[in-house]
Amino acid sequence: MRNRPRGHKATEPRGDVYYAGFCALVFAGGLFAHAADITDQSSSPPGLAFRAAKLVAMDDANTVINDAVVLVKGNRIEAVGRAGDVVIPDGYRVLHFAEHWLLPGIVEAHNHSAAGGWGDLNDMVYQTNPGLDIRPVPRPDNPWVKRARTGGVTTVLLLPGSGTNLAGFGTIVSTGGKTPDEITMRTPGSLKIAQAGNPEWYFGGNGRSFMNWNLRQTIEKARAYCQRWEEYDQATKRQSGGATENVAAGHQAGRESEPPPAQPEFDPIWDGFRGVFTGAVPATVHTQVYQVLLMTVEMIADQFGLWTVTEHSSFDAWKVGPVVREFQQRGAPHAPLWIIQGPRQYHFDRTSRRMIGNANGWWKNGIHELAINTDAPVVPQEELTYQSAMACWYGWLPYPALRAITNITAKSIGLYDRVGSVEVGKQADLSVWTGDPIDPRSACLMTVVNGEIVYDGTQGTRRF
Amino acid sequence: MHGKPRYSAFVPAWLRGFVVTWLCGFVTAGAVAQPPAVPPERVALTGARIIPVVGAPIASGTVLVERGKIAAVGPEVEIPYDARVFDVSGKFVMPGMIDVHTARGLDIPNESRPVTPHLDVADALDPSQLFFEDCLRLGITAVHVIPANNTVIGGLGRVVRPIGLTVGEMTIAEGEFLKIAITPRRGFDRMLQMATLRETFLELDDYLARVAEKRYEDKLKEEDKQIDVGPDEARKRGRDLVRAEDVDDQHRNLLRLCGGQVRVAGGPGPKLFQPLGAFVYCGNAMDIALAVRLAKDHAFFDRTVLVLGGECHKAVAELKQAARPVVLPGDLTYRATDPLTGEVHETFVPKKIFDAGLLFALVPGPDDSYAERMLNYQAAQCVRYGVPRDEALRAITLNPAKMLGLDGRLGSIEPGKDAHLVVFSGDPLDFSSVVEQVFIDGIPAYDRAKDVRLQRLLSPGTSDSTAKPE
Repeated sequence: MRNRPRGHKATEPRGDVYYAGFCALVFAGGLFAHAADITDQSSSPPGLAFRAAKLVAMDDANTVINDAVVLVKGNRIEAVGRAGDVVIPDGYRVLHFAEHWLLPGIVEAHNHSAAGGWGDLNDMVYQTNPGLDIRPVPRPDNPWVKRARTGGVTTVLLLPGSGTNLAGFGTIVSTGGKTPDEITMRTPGSLKIAQAGNPEWYFGGNGRSFMNWNLRQTIEKARAYCQRWEEYDQATKRQSGGATENVAAGHQAGRESEPPPAQPEFDPIWDGFRGVFTGAVPATVHTQVYQVLLMTVEMIADQFGLWTVTEHSSFDAWKVGPVVREFQQRGAPHAPLWIIQGPRQYHFDRTSRRMIGNANGWWKNGIHELAINTDAPVVPQEELTYQSAMACWYGWLPYPALRAITNITAKSIGLYDRVGSVEVGKQADLSVWTGDPIDPRSACLMTVVNGEIVYDGTQGTRRF
Repeated sequence: MHGKPRYSAFVPAWLRGFVVTWLCGFVTAGAVAQPPAVPPERVALTGARIIPVVGAPIASGTVLVERGKIAAVGPEVEIPYDARVFDVSGKFVMPGMIDVHTARGLDIPNESRPVTPHLDVADALDPSQLFFEDCLRLGITAVHVIPANNTVIGGLGRVVRPIGLTVGEMTIAEGEFLKIAITPRRGFDRMLQMATLRETFLELDDYLARVAEKRYEDKLKEEDKQIDVGPDEARKRGRDLVRAEDVDDQHRNLLRLCGGQVRVAGGPGPKLFQPLGAFVYCGNAMDIALAVRLAKDHAFFDRTVLVLGGECHKAVAELKQAARPVVLPGDLTYRATDPLTGEVHETFVPKKIFDAGLLFALVPGPDDSYAERMLNYQAAQCVRYGVPRDEALRAITLNPAKMLGLDGRLGSIEPGKDAHLVVFSGDPLDFSSVVEQVFIDGIPAYDRAKDVRLQRLLSPGTSDSTAKPE
């Protein structure tokens, strides 16, 4: 809505091609559009204007705008509104999607494929591996990431594997960008813990009584290290903060000032944990089945008070819902507890002897802020929307299922101020769909990361 | 932290399991009894034929429960106006049965590591396992879950009730016993098994000596003094300085097993912890002597429960001399085959143990046979082979409670005890009797009439597809 005086109304026709929903028209028009694009790019338009049949913004106001315009300038969203209200500035490249849906980029909180495959994920050195960090691992533009874009996925949390109980730190990357620095959004992105269900195979087989004890020991050591530094930092701050007054007072009283605090030893094994204990970095926990999820809530969230994100949360884990809800309501602001479900959205419940939708199970047990993940490439990254679709097939609701892969996921890993919804000022990560993304018949037509079109399926070039 | 109460803000402790079951009604509907929305504070079972285990049976009487505890038992009990009354006329009421030794409810029976005294089953106990539902169905209201026998030193056990969403809600008593196996674990022989045990306890001595030495050195450092004595003397001087927080996880439970008191260089230091006992597995007769010696050498003999294999009846003289409580093998009849003639000789173990005057407990059979997993069936077999009825009943109620140190709370129907009650359709030792209702801490935890899974199992000619869901 900026630059209104210099712009023109979006309703006015322009030389760009108007994309109709029918394939023939799309294809025929695409030929012209393609030619036009090249000339546009050569003159480098000052911004992008998306006009879509429906904008589902996935913001907290649950904004849906029919016939909407979203302006993108640089890597930011500049304006969002109804077509009649938003003025498209001169020179903006206008992308018409007359029958299509516009959403924020899809966010994934459990990804391994940004590493380019199955390697570089599991250092089976010890049963717990503090000191490891996946920071050097992401491979920009690798084939798996290219596939992710075709599903509208723009942000992924790349995690070490679940071969050990504590596999190191993850990194949040975007699916667009050419260099490691360009794609890195936050590092460390999270601490990866695997509560059970894979780390068993270390040392020829472990049980949960050992793994949970051992994991607790590791985190206690990390906490002790962080506490030493926290105390040191506070003592240093105290001294430097009141230095002048103290000196003056000390001189007057004839006393010597407090000796400087002894600096704790630096240890690269534990230093990465400092953000975990200050609440800046979440612990993303590979956890599933009833008892294991219970341990995650009791140990990671309750005992250690960490910002906890339970990943997978599958099989009958949803039966822990009342305990999770009770913990969330008890109010531990320092330790938010987020549930992410997936992959695989169903579980045969032996008690009631029927198939249960896991997401629906969580929902009915009071967990209404629920996210969905794929564990790509276990389930291909571009099929994250299918996981949501499957959750709906097993009884869940479509709109929460859309929030589950945008808004809620972004919140769970602390990225909602940047991605996860279409709002002015946020990072320009967008996805365009032929219809409701939760409808398995729908396809992603275009993906935008950081204001750059990284996937364009409008030219008859749809990959899927 | 497992003992930490949940829901404490709005639900009294004795109702907690009840409330969570109710909250989870969406998921557990049809599993077992669906409890009512408002749990009763007072429960009365009237017209019952009561087997109190302690004291004479009552032909027709009332058990009154208040806030989870038994308030009164007798032929004439005044029933408060607000009690929820269950008319169980003509039915038998007995105390909840106790499974005193099982590794079920865990993800795996034993860790692959041989020496794990620092571990606790609380970290592996799964409240969602169907085993616990089966316990309700079979009238078992308290389960001592403890690592299995394929170990050298296993972790701490825990006594739980088969209801509750979390381990904390299930817990009746936190671990008081470690598991020790004399019979070699898989891949070990007796030499290695005993050597590992020996080394473990020697290492504890060495560890405590080093801790004492370090404590003395730390003290000198604080006082800005040089080390003035040799290590032996430093250890002696340091042993009284050892604090509870100086003992790490790996050694704490071992020290507790040995009484909880630091001993360094032959002399006593402070008593830092409450003692632990041990369930010591003796699969063979030859293991009894080894177990007794080990327990006496390391000062836990008075807190030892012997877990017997079938062959152990041959060591009955040693068992009698030891006079420690014993857990009998699930297979009550021991069969020895003569290697030359092939002749089979059978011994009914409980009778022999009873005749020796030992305190014994019965456990479910070794396989999943529907009969032998019932503790009342095990007790009935004992009666058939000559054990007195009262003694057989004690072997599944009061005796295991005594072994666990919980006879003040469990094992009989007496005022003041936890209200763990089982309603049988007839005499519990009659094999045609079935468990109709179970009360745990006064909570109506099981009702056979609402046991949908059992109805599915028992209804003839009904396939899964046509069975009406709950």
